[in-house]
Amino acid sequence: MARAAKSVAAKSAAAKAASAKSERGMSVPRARLDRALNPKSVVVVGDKGPGFQWLSNLSEFSGPVYSVQLDEKEIPGIEAKGIKNFKSLLDVPGTVDLVICAVPRQVTPFVVGDAIKKGVGGISMFTSGFEETGEPQAVELQARLVAMCREGGMPLVGPNCMGIYNRRLGVKFTAGQEKGTGGDIGIISQSGTHGIGMSLGAQRAGIRVSRTISIGNAAVLNECDYLQYLRDDPDSPVIAMYLEGTRDGRRFFNLLKETTKLKPVILWRGGRTKAGARAVRSHTASLAADGAVWDGLVRQTGAIPVHSIDEALDAIAALVNTDRPRGRRVALIAMTGGQSVAITDHFEREGFEIPELSKRSYDRLAEFFMTIGGSYRNPFDAASTIGRETDNLRKILEILAEEPIIDGGVGIELGARGFDTDPGRLNAQLDLLETYRKKTGLPVISMMPVGGAMGGDELTVLAARNAATARGFAVYPNFERGAAALGRVVSHFQWLGSK
Amino acid sequence: MSDAIATARAEGRTLLSEVESKELLRAAGIPVTEARLATSASEAAAIATEIGFPIVLKIISKDIAHKSDVGGVALGLESASAVRRAYSEMLERVLAAAPKARIDGVSVQQQALPGTEVIVGATTDPQFGPVMMFGLGGVFVEVLKDVSFRIVPLERRDARQMIREINGFPILQGVRGQKGADLKALEKLVLDVSKLVWKRGDIAELDLNPVFAYPDGAIAVDARIVLKAVDADGKEG
Repeated sequence: MARAAKSVAAKSAAAKAASAKSERGMSVPRARLDRALNPKSVVVVGDKGPGFQWLSNLSEFSGPVYSVQLDEKEIPGIEAKGIKNFKSLLDVPGTVDLVICAVPRQVTPFVVGDAIKKGVGGISMFTSGFEETGEPQAVELQARLVAMCREGGMPLVGPNCMGIYNRRLGVKFTAGQEKGTGGDIGIISQSGTHGIGMSLGAQRAGIRVSRTISIGNAAVLNECDYLQYLRDDPDSPVIAMYLEGTRDGRRFFNLLKETTKLKPVILWRGGRTKAGARAVRSHTASLAADGAVWDGLVRQTGAIPVHSIDEALDAIAALVNTDRPRGRRVALIAMTGGQSVAITDHFEREGFEIPELSKRSYDRLAEFFMTIGGSYRNPFDAASTIGRETDNLRKILEILAEEPIIDGGVGIELGARGFDTDPGRLNAQLDLLETYRKKTGLPVISMMPVGGAMGGDELTVLAARNAATARGFAVYPNFERGAAALGRVVSHFQWLGSK
Repeated sequence: MSDAIATARAEGRTLLSEVESKELLRAAGIPVTEARLATSASEAAAIATEIGFPIVLKIISKDIAHKSDVGGVALGLESASAVRRAYSEMLERVLAAAPKARIDGVSVQQQALPGTEVIVGATTDPQFGPVMMFGLGGVFVEVLKDVSFRIVPLERRDARQMIREINGFPILQGVRGQKGADLKALEKLVLDVSKLVWKRGDIAELDLNPVFAYPDGAIAVDARIVLKAVDADGKEG
């Protein structure tokens, strides 16, 4: 459940208004894109053994799968998988919604031609060796495909891409992608690797990825079309994008600005566009480095900027697995004195306040808190208090839940030591944190560092982190990443409220 | 089309002179120091008397990019005779430093009271089209590149935030007991430039450098506008 995102997605009136305009500017009619991204039947053209990766990726697909392969050597392998093979796309029975094209590049115009003749919904082209090579002939070949698709109104995903993953239908481009219902996030990636990285990484954190679209050369359909589509997709209450540039800066700017009003958009920009040989005659132009303009774009549209796969996944976890913060004043609970200083440093660096609590809270804390070897001023140095009696964490969290000054939630260092022999302790703590977040609707950021006195060894910590993640908590391996992730989320929501 | 642009286009130029740039800006309601073209020492003196002292003279030539490098700027002229003398000396200096430069004349300007120097600019980004920049002038922009960008057209929020997000913002808030800059006036100036660039669509680059920011108001002291090139069909490229 996308907690932080939920309240935004609830603006359904705005979403409806947006979807009424959803055809505007799209490279192909929306209905065509719908069919290609939600196929009921798939044909793989040109898959090869021994792995037959594309046919294998469709083993959980809910509709019929056919193969087109002329190579006699490959056909027995395909049929052994129980998949019917044809010599031509035109021979395949019934309607075809998606063609996955994995043929050598010189054959691609024939596949596209047949697909248009057959009236298929769309093509996802894995084949590479086009514009990205920079070779004049390859660029020309891509231009030829684009011209064919434009004329035939054919949605082409790629080329040079991994294509589409659709959770509900079980269309996958890597074996680890899950089939299932619902969705917490939709992903668009110019890089296949980062698409897989974000898709599987988010899934590992217990997050349901509705779709991942690897856009490759974005020759016909581009990042704007996909963003527009995901903007209106109820299975994607959060969007994450990896881009190296944009094909249509104006449309992208306008779309991004519109979309962030409806749902959070995480934007990971990789690389730099070469400015090209431009005669620059002003001071401003000489300073308008590509990165500076993209920074401006992010600030102007309210997108959530990230700069690595870790930052992307950290932000995804915070958006999906925490509630929406109402401000920047947090309570921090660490296990030891040193860690209570470190956690405070990191949260302050991200612009959080760690305020003093009310007298009433301090009076209640004084009744049970171990102040010898501990402190409750906020930050909390709590190991001696919680370690003795887990129920003391319940008391602390109850007091914090009633503390009006805390509007950003709780950041807590969870000790993993002993998790291998007694997982019950961690679970009991998570139960209490669950109660806190239900009661307050505020974020809980859990941090389980290896280095802390309560950390334990690497494998124990990893197992404990996974257990907390599986229960729907945003869990981070250190304070800086937890603080940065929550910082990004709160900055985004504050931006939405800014004038 | 304003006269300044028509003249530049007719002459096949894309670079507007400071006088032309300011004419265009003033017509758009953007505060600029008054600047008029003089082509003789006595004309310069007459204009100066009309504008009021102190006066600044700046050389106007399409062939000179950096006026101060060739002695093409004279500051703090307090009388008509000082202006006349400065005019003649400037022409001699410039022609000695750049003998081949074609000189259109001298811009006679009101000398603004010193304020906090900021730069407001616009340029054309290859991906996003018109974008705007804000920064503090001098070393902040030259060395530290402490500037912020936004895509045109800007909303009020963008103007507010781009001014506040530069690292040097505390300087605009006032340091060492000095009064802060008029942020409202700066925001308005940024938004008016955004409007001008967006509405016209034919401005490729624009520098207001420096703009003097005061506790009450702000004014562009120097201005440079580059138009988009026009191809043979009369279309902007």
